[in-house]
Amino acid sequence: MVKVKINNLSMKYEKKLIIDDFELEIIDGELLVLLGASGCGKTSLLKIIAGIIEPEEGTIIFDEKDITNYTPQKRKVGYVPQAQVLFPHMKVEQNISFGLEAHKLSKEEIKERIKWIAEITQIQDLLDRFPSEISGGQKQRVALARALAIKPNLLLLDEPLSSIDASGRESLALTIRRIQKETGITTLYVTHNQEESRLISDRVALMYDGKIQQIGSVIEVDRTPRNYLIAKIMGSSNVWPVEYLETEDGNSLVSTPIGLITLPYEIKRKITGIKIPPSSFKIVHDLSEDDKMIEFIGRIKSVIEKDDENFRIVVDLKDAHLEYFKVDCKKEMLNIGSAANKELQLHVLPSEVILI
Amino acid sequence: MHRSIQKKSRNFEGLSNKFIISLSIIALISFLLAFFYIPIVRIFQTALSSDSGSGLKVFWETLSDPFNLKFLGFTLLQAFLSTVLCLLIGLPIGYFFAKYEFKGKKLIINLLTIPFVLPPVIVLIGFTVTYGQGGWVNLLWQSITRSSNVLITIDGTVQGIILAHVFYNLSVIIRLTIPAWQNIDNEQIEVSSTLGVGKGKTFQKIVFPQVKNAIISSSLLVFIYTFNSFAIVMKLGNFNFYTLEVLIYESFDLLKFSEGASLAVIQLVINSLVIILYLVVERKSRKMAEGKEKGLKTERLSFRGKDWKSIVSLSLSIFFVFIVILFSFAPIIAIIVKSFIPKSPGDSPFWGYSQIFTQQKITPLNTNTIRLFGNTLLFATVAAVISLILSVLIVFVLRNRYQSIKKYQRSVSESFVSYLIILPMATSSITLGLGLYLSYSGLGSYYNSVWIFIIMSHVLISIPFVTRSILVAYNRIDVELLNVASSLGASRVMVFRKIEFPLIKRGIIVGGIFSFAISLGEFGATFLLARANYETLSIGIYNLLGSQTLQISTAMASVLILITALCFYLINKFGDIELKV
Repeated sequence: MVKVKINNLSMKYEKKLIIDDFELEIIDGELLVLLGASGCGKTSLLKIIAGIIEPEEGTIIFDEKDITNYTPQKRKVGYVPQAQVLFPHMKVEQNISFGLEAHKLSKEEIKERIKWIAEITQIQDLLDRFPSEISGGQKQRVALARALAIKPNLLLLDEPLSSIDASGRESLALTIRRIQKETGITTLYVTHNQEESRLISDRVALMYDGKIQQIGSVIEVDRTPRNYLIAKIMGSSNVWPVEYLETEDGNSLVSTPIGLITLPYEIKRKITGIKIPPSSFKIVHDLSEDDKMIEFIGRIKSVIEKDDENFRIVVDLKDAHLEYFKVDCKKEMLNIGSAANKELQLHVLPSEVILI
Repeated sequence: MHRSIQKKSRNFEGLSNKFIISLSIIALISFLLAFFYIPIVRIFQTALSSDSGSGLKVFWETLSDPFNLKFLGFTLLQAFLSTVLCLLIGLPIGYFFAKYEFKGKKLIINLLTIPFVLPPVIVLIGFTVTYGQGGWVNLLWQSITRSSNVLITIDGTVQGIILAHVFYNLSVIIRLTIPAWQNIDNEQIEVSSTLGVGKGKTFQKIVFPQVKNAIISSSLLVFIYTFNSFAIVMKLGNFNFYTLEVLIYESFDLLKFSEGASLAVIQLVINSLVIILYLVVERKSRKMAEGKEKGLKTERLSFRGKDWKSIVSLSLSIFFVFIVILFSFAPIIAIIVKSFIPKSPGDSPFWGYSQIFTQQKITPLNTNTIRLFGNTLLFATVAAVISLILSVLIVFVLRNRYQSIKKYQRSVSESFVSYLIILPMATSSITLGLGLYLSYSGLGSYYNSVWIFIIMSHVLISIPFVTRSILVAYNRIDVELLNVASSLGASRVMVFRKIEFPLIKRGIIVGGIFSFAISLGEFGATFLLARANYETLSIGIYNLLGSQTLQISTAMASVLILITALCFYLINKFGDIELKV
């Protein structure tokens, strides 16, 4: 268990920099989720940390030790690649003991270690089976057990849920979380799915353009995304990019895909997007004269019951092609029987518009 | 200080890997130099320079000799005709096996492949017994027509040569096109029909383009195999017809080395062109097969619930398949039956077998049969072991993941090796034998050590097949498996011992047995190189072909068939046979 520091790391693939002056610190014992789109270099980063690929430049430091030039064998990193690659010709037990034999543990130690990790990962009943005889979720647990058995300095997980069917994902995610907490092993968990980061991360790091763009707890990132793209990656509702911005006479004109929005103050900094929380909309029945309010007209697409008192409505915006809002409203505001395609007028207070 | 030690540790693992790879490359290159490239250079030297010093004179004379030109044309023509005939018969059969599901299908496909692994002399003797002047087909015909006219003449005719070639190579087309048919996603055909495209157009636009490359590459293989045909044409051509391969041998036999070498150069050039074309098409057809999940919808072979039209066409298909099975088996069965038919009534049916297991020499043979058996088995065993070692080295040089991961491309030496092994594929066995003879017959100890050269020629002939068997197995290994193994702390040696080797073990077994079977029946190079005490069973059987009684030669052939069939059985038990080079 170590803290990890990665300094100005770069890697080229076919002459293109896919990891570019990359910096990252992983705190000892935390589970850090690295969130980024497919092909953004996440997997390459894991392979560099595991020592399988050599970086162009940069250093990797475990605690105070520079391990950049260590072979994979010497790094003691638990690497779990995306596809659950178990050694197909070995039983589950032999799969786990492989790394222990490589580390020259005695027979008794190996036995004990297998018993320990099998209990934590709940695979005691699978030890005598071949990989072809167990399910996808079980394979992933075995792959975890194999990586953890050597008590690695750092655990690297590459999209561990991607090949698991939808029904098993959440429970496996929580299992991974529990195992990580029980063993306390520093973990870097790579995924493109923000739901997973909400479920299990201590902190989340967002990566694109070969760099970490923002890092923090999910709540922090959700509340104050650094830019429009990050808000989008985090899956926030009701965010739109800003096309251009004009300021005059103490007012700001913001052009977005949902129309021109006037805000009664001057924006002095650079903004990349706006966000209107679903709870900020008010359904009004006649257009008021109150020109301080921002107005939208749309049609109800679908209605979801959010809780006992509230609906969440998806509203197609009139006049804007393919743009929609998610709107929260009190149940008494809406007669669900006649809701389909009903035209709605919505008001938003300018002060409720969040600038990103 | 700290830093420099770490650097060293990384370098050590890299170095030890580099060391193994360099050693492999050196071993491979020295083998290829000694037993292939020096002989090939020697052939070029002999072809392009003559004693009189007039340079290309002999080469041009050989090339422009009308006799040679005529039979160069014939060589190409018969290869083309054999290929076309194989396609005409093999394509429908391949489609039939891809389309229909029935009990014993795999067994039948495997049995149909047996002719391909038979030694050429077995084909010759089988054809003589089945279709020869006094062969069973003609005897049957004569008794049906009550005349002395024969139905078919295979001695000294083109039809004999082509029939034998089709017998030999039919399975190449059948086996290599079955997966291509099977790979066609049935949903594509369904989509095409919902788009309003008729059956014929769907076949032309959707199905055919996807099997085209498999058809072309298997045809090119048949073309190569028949273009370099030796034993069959030498015997059945009966001095009426020659392939380049036979002409080269004849020149060698008449000690006209320059002429033979010149012909070998021409043959080598043509072979190389076809092989390169083959490799290009083969790569394309492999790409086509990648990433397909669904295949052709198969149908149970059954007459139930069909209208009379389908019943008739299905019956005809089954009849056609049956005829082809009969054609592929008649010669083999004929040999075995013939070996038990006594010379004259009252004799023992085992006379032939008792003869071959005695110490005495049978007249046209140069050595006793026990020695022939011993040579054959010994050469085959040694050749298999050497081929295996070299092929494993080749696979490791070609799939050296440590290098490729770091640099994302192969090093120069590795690309060099991958090209070095293409030319041996394009070299015929007679050319190989001639090259070895020209290079080493000057050595004082040549005649006592000729067995080394025989074995090495067998090794060179089987390496492409062995390498392929192992490569196919190796390519199935997920690179991530090896990455995980090294991050779990396994050294390079441990990764090989515990992961790579167990996963390619079957490929190694298949390759080894295949090499054994190839050496067992190899004819051309052995025939050219072997002297008296170093002859093999194939040569013995060939020498007996002209003799009055076929009982001894069929008995020898039956034993050879038995061993070959056993090899083939084992290959199928452990994996799949590779007909491709």
